[in-house]
Amino acid sequence: MLIEFQNVSKRYDDGTLAVANLSLTVRKGEIFVLIGPSGCGKTTTMKMVNRLIDHTDGKILIDEREIYQFDIYELRRNIGYVLQQIALFPHLTVEENIAVVPDLLKWPKTKTKDRVTELMKIAGLDPVLRSKKPPELSGGQQQRVGVLRALAADPEVILMDEPFSALDPISRAQLQDDIKRLNDELGKTILFVTHDIEEAMKLGDRIALMRDGKLVIVGTPDEIRASDDPFVLDFTQHGRGEADA
Amino acid sequence: MLETFQNRRGELVEALIEHLQLSVVSLLIAVLIAVPLGIWLTRRKKVAETAIGFTAIIQTIPSLALLGLMIPLVGIGALPATIALVLYALLPILRNTFTGLNEVDKSLIEAAQGCGMKPNQSLMRVELPLALPVIMAGIRTAMVLIVGTATLAALVGAGGLGTLILLGINRNDNYLILLGAIPAAILALLFDFLLRQMEGATATRNKTKLIAVSTVLALIIAAPLALGRTQQTDLVVAGKLGPEPEILMNMYKLLIEEETDLTVSVRPNFGETTFVWGALKSGDVDIYPEFTGTVLASLVKETPNSNDAREVYEQARDALADDGFALLEPMQFNNTYAIAIPRDYAETEGVTTISDLRSVQNDIQAGFTLEFTDREDGYPGLQQAYGLDFPSVVSMEQKLRYRAIARGDVNLVDAYATDPDIAENDLLVLEDDQQFFPPYQGAPLLKAETLEEHPEIEDALNQLGGLITDEEMSELNRRVAYGKERAYDVAEDFLEQAGLL
Repeated sequence: MLIEFQNVSKRYDDGTLAVANLSLTVRKGEIFVLIGPSGCGKTTTMKMVNRLIDHTDGKILIDEREIYQFDIYELRRNIGYVLQQIALFPHLTVEENIAVVPDLLKWPKTKTKDRVTELMKIAGLDPVLRSKKPPELSGGQQQRVGVLRALAADPEVILMDEPFSALDPISRAQLQDDIKRLNDELGKTILFVTHDIEEAMKLGDRIALMRDGKLVIVGTPDEIRASDDPFVLDFTQHGRGEADA
Repeated sequence: MLETFQNRRGELVEALIEHLQLSVVSLLIAVLIAVPLGIWLTRRKKVAETAIGFTAIIQTIPSLALLGLMIPLVGIGALPATIALVLYALLPILRNTFTGLNEVDKSLIEAAQGCGMKPNQSLMRVELPLALPVIMAGIRTAMVLIVGTATLAALVGAGGLGTLILLGINRNDNYLILLGAIPAAILALLFDFLLRQMEGATATRNKTKLIAVSTVLALIIAAPLALGRTQQTDLVVAGKLGPEPEILMNMYKLLIEEETDLTVSVRPNFGETTFVWGALKSGDVDIYPEFTGTVLASLVKETPNSNDAREVYEQARDALADDGFALLEPMQFNNTYAIAIPRDYAETEGVTTISDLRSVQNDIQAGFTLEFTDREDGYPGLQQAYGLDFPSVVSMEQKLRYRAIARGDVNLVDAYATDPDIAENDLLVLEDDQQFFPPYQGAPLLKAETLEEHPEIEDALNQLGGLITDEEMSELNRRVAYGKERAYDVAEDFLEQAGLL
């Protein structure tokens, strides 16, 4: 599945322009990282894909079909979504959290159960965690479940909004490796938002650096390193987006 | 205490069941209104403040006033009580539903949306379950409020534990008050327990437990229906709070059932004049004993043309007739303001009328209620009419002045002529020889159409005309208030001795 932004803008009711005339293409099967200082429009860009935010100008196409042509709920159920706040449903068990989208798609119970077993195995989660509630899990385990929730119905596209920023460095590194592996093995298209340049360089097949709602540069990690644009240099050398200060 | 419990076991069970039903039904209706409304308001934040503010305003209306306002609209009984209780319960449930849903972590709602849940699915699967503890806290608050306020339902004839409490207050019977108050407290705890169980069962999705608790609640609602309500009678006789109205009501019942083929039920302890009067007008009540003075002052709002008892009665009767009501023959007693002194003191000094006080006025130490000291038809008027001036006048609370005269701290008090305390403390009511106090004679009040339908009532009740003196009435009141006899027995006893049964 490929995602295409054609001259996309997002203007809020109060007139602020969060994303301005953005054009880019996310290719099938790649990890595409959106990076930039806070307030640059990277999260807005990502949320326009599953319509948590609606764009106001231009077109967003998924497999060459305009996203407004899809049923909004069908669209979201076919796109995995991992949140920065992890946001597992605290009143549901791990199993029920993973099964949220399959349940919405009305999968047969046994199919869902088997899928949960399979996913927990892939993520290396102990089966005893199945019936635990999220607050009983460590941060790293929680976000693994968060990723599994996004993967459960086997979507081709997964959106990840700074998914590891709340984790400790060790869990973060492990989960980054997991994502890399999942992408290699399962061939998912991943749109990944971060403000951490090291994470972007490690994970991204391609990286888009944004500033003030506009693209500054799009390219492979090597191409980004080779750039002599002062903003790019500043951002890559100081990392983590202090450049906007 | 145990004795009171034994004697009143039947009444207690009936009151408890009425109380339960009233509370559960009111709570259920309040939940069915407030929870959906609260959900709707989270989607209309602008209206929310206004709506919640409005329910807060309802909460500030005193319960008694709310009940009073309800009578002209929906009559008496369980209906106005339920409406009032529902209105009271709205605020805590509505506010907690709104707050609970608003406090759900926004990222969880975003996660639900991101997973592709429709608004309803997000509400049912995520928002409501997470807001449940807050919503249930609101429901439990409402429940305590309802169980407590439902004790006032007795004032509009809806029964419940308030009946026992009111009776206890009336009869100076602390055990009777406790007999109503303790079960009310236990009921509140029981409901709280059931609701907690229900909340726990919902949170853990324990279906067996949920079904069990729901069944218990359903049984509570259904039980009184299965036991059946009090059967319909041809006539309903009601009366205000206190032993005297209750004795008179029972006399009416006994006389009507003796002389006619009609069946009569009694509904004692209505709160205030406006409550019974409203109930009479709306047709929920057919007959109640009213005072001639009250008819003029409160019902038809006329000033008395004279202080002659007969003329006041006729003025009241004629004014009521214009509005389609009939006031039958009054009894002899005159429950007006009166002056009372210890009987032995009266005998040694030879005082029988208020005028006689002039000869002993320098010995008088008076204890008056604040109202009596202040009112134009109280002590100031009395001083002028009789040329009296007591050297010592202290004002004190109603009940306290009887205690003061019993202890000898004072030797003259104002009173209502038929107060049970007069007989209890062996006081003598002095004759108002100048007819200074306006007359308050008791007489049966009913709709003219009731009389047209059952003309035989008139003869039955007019047998009481001119009967029962102040002293007799005070003694009957004393037997109920202090002697712990039942109003029905006291009424029957009197009528038998008068040869009417």
